[in-house]
Amino acid sequence: MASQDEKQGSAYTGFGSEWRPVKLSAEDARTATSWVEKRIDKREMLTGKERVEDVREVMWELEKDGEIVVHRISEQHDPVIGKTLYGWDKRIPTQQLWHHKSCGQCGNIPGYPSSLLWLQNQMGIRYLDETDQTSCTAWNYHGSGIGNIVSLAAVFLRNFHQAYVSSVSQGLPPGYYYPLVHCGTSFGNYKEVRHYLLHSAELREQVKKILGKLGRLVDGKLLIPEEIVHYSEWLHVMRSRIQEHQVIDVSNIRATVHPACHVHKMVPEDVLYDDTVMDGNRVAVSTGLLQTLGAQVIDYSTWYDCCGFGFRHIIGEREFTRSFAIDRKLKVVSEEAHSDVMIGHDTGCITTLDKSQWIGKAVDKVYPVSVMSDAQFAALACGAHPYKLAQLHWHASPFEGLLEKMGIDWQKAQAEFEAYLKDVADGRIETLYDPKRAITSGPGYVKPTQIEAKA
Amino acid sequence: MSHAATITAPIGDPIASNEPATREKLEEIFGDLKAHPLFDHELYGCLNCGICTATCPAAHYYDFSPREIVQLLVTENLEGIYDAMQEKIWACAQCYTCAARCPFHNSPGGLIMLMRETAIKHGMQSAKDVLKPFTRVLMKLITTGNQLAPNMITPDAFADWGPNVARIKAPLNILRKAIPMPTMHTTDTAWEVNIKTSIELYTIWEETGVLQQLETIDPNLFDVVSDLMDEKRDEYQEWLDDQDD
Repeated sequence: MASQDEKQGSAYTGFGSEWRPVKLSAEDARTATSWVEKRIDKREMLTGKERVEDVREVMWELEKDGEIVVHRISEQHDPVIGKTLYGWDKRIPTQQLWHHKSCGQCGNIPGYPSSLLWLQNQMGIRYLDETDQTSCTAWNYHGSGIGNIVSLAAVFLRNFHQAYVSSVSQGLPPGYYYPLVHCGTSFGNYKEVRHYLLHSAELREQVKKILGKLGRLVDGKLLIPEEIVHYSEWLHVMRSRIQEHQVIDVSNIRATVHPACHVHKMVPEDVLYDDTVMDGNRVAVSTGLLQTLGAQVIDYSTWYDCCGFGFRHIIGEREFTRSFAIDRKLKVVSEEAHSDVMIGHDTGCITTLDKSQWIGKAVDKVYPVSVMSDAQFAALACGAHPYKLAQLHWHASPFEGLLEKMGIDWQKAQAEFEAYLKDVADGRIETLYDPKRAITSGPGYVKPTQIEAKA
Repeated sequence: MSHAATITAPIGDPIASNEPATREKLEEIFGDLKAHPLFDHELYGCLNCGICTATCPAAHYYDFSPREIVQLLVTENLEGIYDAMQEKIWACAQCYTCAARCPFHNSPGGLIMLMRETAIKHGMQSAKDVLKPFTRVLMKLITTGNQLAPNMITPDAFADWGPNVARIKAPLNILRKAIPMPTMHTTDTAWEVNIKTSIELYTIWEETGVLQQLETIDPNLFDVVSDLMDEKRDEYQEWLDDQDD
């Protein structure tokens, strides 16, 4: 903080109406902008900092001191090591996964999680998709301000405790399943909350009382996950194995990637970078997968910008959301990159970029580009049905041209899906797993021996 | 705070209908901000370099600057902080680009959240006005833990999304059952939520002061939510009692 002496008569008094524009010449403004852009393009804004700590060291110390229990990623989870921003190792579990769903994906982009589960079925990955979970509640927090660090921490620890004990409902030991977070905001929020929890004994004490009341402690201690893992990280470390299942050539597809802010700007030291992906100057997830599948990944000048979702704005001030999405993202990927598809790895971004296109007609800003998640694109490349599995009919952006370019007969697929809807109405529903597994306690719970007997 | 101490009249926007704030109120608000457990995690100092504002999406479209917010807090400009809490803090898109770029490790986006929390704590009318469209989200969140539901996305509410979201003409419940994940065969929540889960979450809301926030900002919604959750608790207790029998 500035002292009184520093404040009086110094440049720090310049704010509000007293603030004066610097009135840079056009050339100086270009120089300043280019200085910043060069550093962003080479990720210097992230790495050129001091005082960055690996919070996992604090975690291991706390466990050694008997304060917490760590949900470990062990050999049973078949981990693959990824490298984060500073070259630190991050163990990504690839097996026995507990799906921590995203309310926005499940609510309006259902093909996003269903494509992920379908890919895992193709590769024989064991997982659990269950009803005993809440959202991270952070979309609401960032949008409205309702909530606080204690509530966010309690929600984080409750959900991750449930991931830890969920296997017991199937007669398996605790810790069998490891949580895989679907939403980018959940991913960023949980990592921020973990940081505060590990650094604040007071917060741990507050949350411990609540978790104790809920019966959500392990040996009387808080349970902290060894890593917080986003599904896009799973896709990244599995990309070569996914490629083995690829049946559609996508080498003619021009793809752009929108890196999600809450995935790569929140707690950036924990984000995967890979020297083989854009020379390590872009977050590795999604781009690495697309390159492995053989798509042309096109860089574009506004890759670093957010999408315009805004959390509050998507609900109450969409003129901001759609203006930013159109002017700063859709226009650029369309005119500059000639993109066939824009790929995202977070809920709000895909919603925003997908749903903000049609309204552009009102102001002659029409930049049609298909928008979908990396999981959906990978599933399509591996032969997933575009409607029954990738569920593209929930999207507002035009995906038909992309499918044609991939050699997929979307009209035939649509007709198949419409015929399937009649089966659904008659109760003949196809699912990716046994629905009985989804309920792990309370009303509707069926013990595993009973499931096996009926199977 | 010498520059602010000379102000004796209440602070307020001369053309707004909001009540002006007293000096004591301004100090109380700033005291709450500084006492917030995250304040020292989000603010370390400021070079006034403006990298945060240069990259800020909200700064493109609003009279909003994360640099200004940080400066107001660093210089403890109480009236400026109060003024920013009326409207500007709600412009932030919460992307955290500012935080990723700040050479000082400040998080202007994080500071905005502390200011939003404080605006709610003090029941500011501006917060109540801004959050009116959030009622359905809050209702869903508090009672189920979901923040969005398929039946919230109606053509009336999202007319600007256009007609393509209804490419396939079929009832919503049939389209939802055609999703191959059984947990998503729902229309009023994004996924089926275990009743025990929503009751546990409600306990978290009770224990962390979130229900007080809700009551401050929307007393009617608080009443509705309380009644609904009482019923859920009774329902779950009856089920537990049945298991004992």
